[in-house]
Amino acid sequence: MVNIHLKTAGDHIRRSPFQAAAAVFVLAVTFFVVTFLAVLTHSSDQVIKYFETRPQVIAFLKDDAKSEDISALKAKLEADTRVDSVSYVSKEQALEIYKKATSDNPLLSELVSPSIFPASLEFSLVNLYHAQAVIDEVKGDAIVDQVGYTASLGDDESLNDVVTRLRNLTWYLRLGGGAFAFFLVGTSFLVLMVIIGMRMTTRRGEIEILDLIGATPGFIRSPIILEAVIYAVTGVFLGWLLAFLLVLYSTPSLIGYFGDVPVLPRNTMQLFWLFGSILAIELIAGLILAVSGSILAVSRVKRKK
Amino acid sequence: MLEFKNVTKKFGNITALDNVNFNIKDGGFVFITGPSGSGKTTLLRLILGEIKSDKGEIILDGQNISKLPNNKIPKLRQHIGVIFQDFKVLLERTVRENVEVALAVIGLSRDEWKARVDHVLDLVNLKERSEFFPSQLAGGELQRLSMARALVINPNIILADEPTGNLDWETADKIMDLFGKINKEGKTVVMATHNKLIIDHMKKRTIELREGSLVLDSGVKPDDNSSKAETIIIGSKKEQKEKVESKVK
Repeated sequence: MVNIHLKTAGDHIRRSPFQAAAAVFVLAVTFFVVTFLAVLTHSSDQVIKYFETRPQVIAFLKDDAKSEDISALKAKLEADTRVDSVSYVSKEQALEIYKKATSDNPLLSELVSPSIFPASLEFSLVNLYHAQAVIDEVKGDAIVDQVGYTASLGDDESLNDVVTRLRNLTWYLRLGGGAFAFFLVGTSFLVLMVIIGMRMTTRRGEIEILDLIGATPGFIRSPIILEAVIYAVTGVFLGWLLAFLLVLYSTPSLIGYFGDVPVLPRNTMQLFWLFGSILAIELIAGLILAVSGSILAVSRVKRKK
Repeated sequence: MLEFKNVTKKFGNITALDNVNFNIKDGGFVFITGPSGSGKTTLLRLILGEIKSDKGEIILDGQNISKLPNNKIPKLRQHIGVIFQDFKVLLERTVRENVEVALAVIGLSRDEWKARVDHVLDLVNLKERSEFFPSQLAGGELQRLSMARALVINPNIILADEPTGNLDWETADKIMDLFGKINKEGKTVVMATHNKLIIDHMKKRTIELREGSLVLDSGVKPDDNSSKAETIIIGSKKEQKEKVESKVK
């Protein structure tokens, strides 16, 4: 039974190749953009996550801080649900970090001794919005000398600013991208409807014959829906493939540019998993688009009849 | 059995069928005749469920089809073979595919298609043209294809609307022979035509309509043992009309 519907759908596509090409092209462009937006959304999420989970706050400890007090403060921070991870950096470790950072200038490291570096507790927060409250609490502890954001990121406010800016950027990206994708999906839906409607009009005689010999509405609709599904699947696949190839091509440059920031999965399997998931979701969306568009077109043409 | 009981159908102010009564036993062959606009096609469309009657009942094989809901219409049509004056074949399909479509519509298993299609194509003498497209066939062949499509579903009743209207006399004669052959196999044939030559030649029961009223039902002819008429009205057209009117009253 499916064969006869597939054959009919195939015949319609062969008979009007330009209409078919237009439908596939519009769907391919739509899903190309949607794939890119999906990858951008994923990447921006990863960037935010990266910054949020870095050691963001350093509590410099007083020189006379006792080890049991330090352990107590560390345990207190570890128990805090707002804190993601805590690590203790001793004076010696601080010197090592300094030496590494100044390795290109050995004179600088020779001039310092561990005693000038304070021990510290470095911790990251689950969400940077809690930062100020946690810092205020830690500042109140007797063994804490100073509290600041990770030095490598600049002054006190810089990390918070970076993440806030990233959040805003992601929000605009999602909002703007979503609106653009919605516009493109809407256009694809209309194009599909118009093409299916034209098909219905040109097939009116055939539909009338099928109707008279007892074909059910489902039987009559099947090749039309199948045709729309073929357009959708081809369009989705082409759009996705194009985006995938472009991302694959640019992955080495992107990874090189962003360094440690994981804008794209470094593991090939994870990259395939990401794109596989996007393809699966897009195929489902494409099928919904095709089936709903063709059913709507069929019912509109039938109403006109 | 097909039975019309007081069937009336109006299109706006125009009465297409007015209180029509008749019945056709299984295996009958009945011509529905009358001038253009007399209600022949309306009568066939009512049987096919294309339109609904305003009054009365149409009973087909014990089922009142005049009250059939729309979603049951396809099932009804799957049991009726239908043949049209303009053939109504699918132009992009071969002869074989045109016939197969009817089997696909009734949902018959694909394994059974070949035997059935070969049988009907053989019956209508189109087996050798099974891979031809309709554009490659002559008028008579197209009508035979239309008949093959109607027959392949093995219907109990065949409705034919002016099946010879587009054919020359010789071809029409052959088509009518085929209808006779089909009828002899036990199929009920209801044929709308205004071709007097064919009606006279076939000598079958004739129901004549005029302006929507049944004015003549020729009833049982000596050579038609399958038709049972309830009404036999003969005389001039005016007399027939008067008789029908008085009968209705």
